[in-house]
Amino acid sequence: MLTIENINVNYHHAVQVLKGFSLTVNQGEITALLGANGAGKTTVLKAASGLLGLENGHIEDGQIQLDGVSILKTKPHMLARNGLVHVREGRRIFAEMSVEDNLTAASYALTGRHKKADYQQVYDFFPRLKERSKQLAGLLSGGEQQMLAIGRAILAQPKLILLDEPSLGLAPKIVDEIFEIVRRINQEQGVSMLLVEQNAAAAFRVAHQGYILENGKVVLEGSIDELKQNKDIQTFYLGMGEHQDASSFRDVKHYKRRKRWLN
Amino acid sequence: MGQVMQYLLNGTMNGALYALIAVGIVSIFKSTKVVSFAHGHVIMFGAYFYFTFAVILPGAEFMPDWVAKWEPEWLLAYKEGAMMFSPKAAIAAWVSNLPRIVLGLVGSIICNALLAVVIERLFMRPLLGQSSLSMILCTVGLIWVLEGSASLIWSADIDQVPALGPNFPIRFQLFGDQVFLFSASVVNFVIALLLFAALMLVLRFTRSGVAIRATAEDQSTAYAMGINVPAVFTSAWVVAATTGAVAGAILASRNGLSPTLGLFGLSVLAVVLMGGLDSFAGVFIAAMIIGIMEAFTQWKFGGEYAEIVPYVLVLVVILWRPNGLLGQAEIERI
Repeated sequence: MLTIENINVNYHHAVQVLKGFSLTVNQGEITALLGANGAGKTTVLKAASGLLGLENGHIEDGQIQLDGVSILKTKPHMLARNGLVHVREGRRIFAEMSVEDNLTAASYALTGRHKKADYQQVYDFFPRLKERSKQLAGLLSGGEQQMLAIGRAILAQPKLILLDEPSLGLAPKIVDEIFEIVRRINQEQGVSMLLVEQNAAAAFRVAHQGYILENGKVVLEGSIDELKQNKDIQTFYLGMGEHQDASSFRDVKHYKRRKRWLN
Repeated sequence: MGQVMQYLLNGTMNGALYALIAVGIVSIFKSTKVVSFAHGHVIMFGAYFYFTFAVILPGAEFMPDWVAKWEPEWLLAYKEGAMMFSPKAAIAAWVSNLPRIVLGLVGSIICNALLAVVIERLFMRPLLGQSSLSMILCTVGLIWVLEGSASLIWSADIDQVPALGPNFPIRFQLFGDQVFLFSASVVNFVIALLLFAALMLVLRFTRSGVAIRATAEDQSTAYAMGINVPAVFTSAWVVAATTGAVAGAILASRNGLSPTLGLFGLSVLAVVLMGGLDSFAGVFIAAMIIGIMEAFTQWKFGGEYAEIVPYVLVLVVILWRPNGLLGQAEIERI
């Protein structure tokens, strides 16, 4: 579906963010991309959705392909119209527009595809949005705003959704609800997804494949079941602790606290 | 009391014209985050295009006579015996001018739209992604490019152009006092209001309006959702230039045509800042306040103060609300 091969990305030709980064999203699967703050996760998504150029980011080498076609030079709006939809970090809903107008804005992704915007489908996934369809989107709660952000993506009838931190700033119960919907969209609509998350436990519940990104490089990759067995993942992402007895982080020597993937 | 109403009316009519000019600056700012300092000069070009199509072209040899002066039989019959300066004579004069007025308006709207596309493609598009300050400074440079080329293409002499509506004096009683208006001003006022209202309706209730509002609120997200943001930018410039063409025609017919029209447009920037760069409603209110203030200062203190007092008010308002009356404080998103 989406293949990213060996890309180097920098901002302002000065700050290198991704170094030889590669990733593949398989058809019909959810691929999780995990990593700490500043690892470059969001940059990966921006590189794929074409937004990098707007922030003075540059892809120096490598290749990004959607269904075997290079999309390095494709403009963001054409990518959306080709079925690649980016749900951005921090939801980025249009706060001064009504919920329905937010969805109407998303219907521009259907331009040239001879498809009709199916508002009802979005409201079936998120009945709460229907109740508030005439309200200003800025007045929605955080969870509802995330629902709207995902609802906009559904309305665009995508092949691939790039989902950036849907759990950001939400209560655990809402996170569960959102991830349940993510799973349903993947299964019922057959939409492939690239999911960027900090909340590894939540991401592991829905994803098929996983990549761990650190300082712009992939340090680990594999199926979710493999990753769950990995000791380092258990320590750093799932909070399980290497040994039952040395459970407090304070007891670990400082030079051991640093994440070390290569030992 | 009648006196007050007289100046209130004068002020409102001026205010509507300010609003029509301001609409262009706001529509460019809302979608592209660029304050166009050159808008006044785009308006000046609109005025010169109107002059070209309504005065120069109808006078050209290859044009049929009826374009310059349309006098069908029924009009001659209607005009017969009409007194000088009577409404009847004014309407008859307007009807015989109608072909060239329409030609002038259509021509200036089309040419100004083309001018906007050229400006956007040539100067703004290459700067996309750079800081918006570089685009703003680019519009400052455009002021002299436009002013210089206007006096090259046309001459810097003051010329007259036909008014958009029939021009006759209207007198009526209000609260026991005489109130006096020119019908051409009333027509200008109605045109300005209608254009403003039409733009608001399009923005609020159409699908294109949704795309423009989405772009105004969050360019990159709108872009990622399938909205052709560069096309929205171009259309914002075109909207500004076409409303500017009408404003230019009105200004030229009212004050005479000269390169100083551009400076008048520049002074409207103060109105926009007072109302809030990103608020059509705020700018409308500010335009009305400034228009009325100007009229009242002129009445009470004389013409020389009329140019200062309203702008002192602008400064006070900006001190009190730095983002203008209804402007949004910039929210820095990460």
